[in-house]
Amino acid sequence: MPQAAPSNALTLLDAKALVAAALPFGGLTEATQTALAESFEQAHYASGETIYAAGALSDDLFIVARGAVRLQRKDVALESETIVSRGSAFGWTALAEGAARRNRAIAIGATVLLRLRGAKLVDLAANDPGPGRISCDDVIAAIRAIQQPPPARKTAKTATPWRLQLKLFQAGEWLRSPKPYLMLLGYAALFGFWHLAVEVLRLPRFAEMPGPSDVFREWISDNPIYGVSLHTSVYYHHILISLRRVALAFIFATALGVPTGLLLGWSKTFRDYVFPLFEMLRPIPILAWVPLSIIMLPGSELPVLFLTFLASFFATALNTMLGVKSIDPSLALAAQCLGASRWQVFRHVIAPGALPFIFTGLQISIGVSWFSLVAAEMVSGQFGLGYLINTSYTMVQYPTIVIAMITLGAVGAVTSVAVRLAGSWLMDWRGRHLATSGAR
Amino acid sequence: MNAQLRQTVQRGGQTSLRGAIEIVDVVKSYDQGGASVQAVDHCSLSIPAGEICMIVGPSGCGKTTLLNAIAGFHGIDGGAITLDGRTLCGQGRPKAEIGADRIVVFQNGALFPWKTNLDNVAFGPIVQKRLTKAEAYEKARELMAEAGLSGHERAYPGELSSGLQRRVEIVRALMNDPAVLLLDEPYRALDALTKSVMHEALLETYYRTGVTIFFITHDLEEAIFLGHRVVAMTSRPCRPKRIFEIDIPHPRSYDALTSTRFRELAAEISACVDEEAIKSFALGEREG
Repeated sequence: MPQAAPSNALTLLDAKALVAAALPFGGLTEATQTALAESFEQAHYASGETIYAAGALSDDLFIVARGAVRLQRKDVALESETIVSRGSAFGWTALAEGAARRNRAIAIGATVLLRLRGAKLVDLAANDPGPGRISCDDVIAAIRAIQQPPPARKTAKTATPWRLQLKLFQAGEWLRSPKPYLMLLGYAALFGFWHLAVEVLRLPRFAEMPGPSDVFREWISDNPIYGVSLHTSVYYHHILISLRRVALAFIFATALGVPTGLLLGWSKTFRDYVFPLFEMLRPIPILAWVPLSIIMLPGSELPVLFLTFLASFFATALNTMLGVKSIDPSLALAAQCLGASRWQVFRHVIAPGALPFIFTGLQISIGVSWFSLVAAEMVSGQFGLGYLINTSYTMVQYPTIVIAMITLGAVGAVTSVAVRLAGSWLMDWRGRHLATSGAR
Repeated sequence: MNAQLRQTVQRGGQTSLRGAIEIVDVVKSYDQGGASVQAVDHCSLSIPAGEICMIVGPSGCGKTTLLNAIAGFHGIDGGAITLDGRTLCGQGRPKAEIGADRIVVFQNGALFPWKTNLDNVAFGPIVQKRLTKAEAYEKARELMAEAGLSGHERAYPGELSSGLQRRVEIVRALMNDPAVLLLDEPYRALDALTKSVMHEALLETYYRTGVTIFFITHDLEEAIFLGHRVVAMTSRPCRPKRIFEIDIPHPRSYDALTSTRFRELAAEISACVDEEAIKSFALGEREG
């Protein structure tokens, strides 16, 4: 509850200045302004105290004399918060007789408010002889108009999700830009050249190569010549097996690679032990690992997983390490200054600071994992798109090779986009930063 | 703020305030490409609690080395530094412990870009477990409102102008009730207009809190406008060459800049600093 005014109360002069600054009634006569200032009472609120609740009957208008006030609003569609600082007025609904409060008002810190009955203000303004009366009447009329319940259909419209609207708008912009048409032209150039070289000009080295129409016909056929098409379950089986292997390898590579990279960047001791070894193992091509992994790991599935994992792991760990090194050292010092322990510095500065580089690493990692998966599937394992390419080659089923290749490209692109989306979702701060600095 | 505190902070030196720094005979050298370079040489300086002490001197003279020693970012080779009678570093303890009683505001700013401004400000008390999260956010909102930062709570630092960012950073420091603020050319990158706004905001903060301020700068106007005293340093190795009392009464406003006394002090200090800058330039010191 408001307490009694203490001795260091505001003077009438202070109150008058506040009233003149906070209320948009500049044109009122001197006498009315003084009367206004005199009729304001002071109210004191402790930090966190509720001044009024939403929905309460509004009778008082307030001006913040000291401290600040938070206005919280909860509607169906939105939740918002406004801070009213010193010298501003709030609680305007008091001017609309009998209206309910739209916000909840809470004091921030010890707050001193000037309080006036809305009816009193309306009364004083109405009896003012000067020209300010008109502007005052306008303000009061405007506030009353806001208080009228809006027509039902309008609320329904504001409730439509703005995210969807934004997406639709972006899609429209994209279609209006030259981008999609240039993209189509690029595809058309490649397929056109392929069609010309194989099916029209029949260039010498392209004799064995299946043309686009052969491949397409095979791909959509109900009864494919070589057994693999959109209508056969074996096609999806190959895709699923490959996807599962990449997913498993990628998850393991991330789970091990990110911590390894963070440690490499963060701990000098760990780096001194491990980094030279790391740098020697990293350049060894995946294919060179094939014999050893087949000899040492049991079954046919584990060697494939291990090979796929390996390249991804190195890409992730190295980029994570570079990410840690890219962090401005004053950020870690600042965190220490503010009392963060070594572990808290790691959690609040090192890990989030390395995130942009980590996601660059994961982008590379997902690409590399498809690359090494196919290499691994061609020499070991059963099923999978790499295996399909290899067996189709030995069995002279050339259209199937091309089908598997294009499928690989499409599935790989989808996983890559998924990683990028995950990154921008986790690094909201970065997107907003770039958006406001105009760098994108 | 009440009149009594205003009077107390007007000239610093009152025992009721925290933040008295004694720098006694501090020596510090470091390695530069195999050669030992003396950065600070038998430097002594006494800063009373609640003083705004401005440090000016040529580039690379070792001012930052001194600040880093107080903050605990690196050790000293000899001498001692105490804070309110407690030894930070000295005999048997070359490096001060980094602590929230002395908070550094960095030249290029060190807000965490991945945390909202509110999370940045509330960071100190939360990691120290001095306040619960709810309390810390409440206090953070309060201090941000006082500093005119209301409405920026949910934004990220990258969405603010650099002047506002610096203000958030000072509020983040004040959240910990520090005894000393260590500022290392915090306004160097700001344009002149923003700078003057920042100066008035810093003074206002100071009048409210009475925190001791150790402020390194190249800008003599800034030094005279803000400081109780301006300490001109020698070129490397660094030690106080002359200490100027700035007898313009606090609280100051920007009118002080046009007063005759201000001009006199500026001429005097500039003559003293220029002499060192020429020496330093002749020695081929690099910026920094």
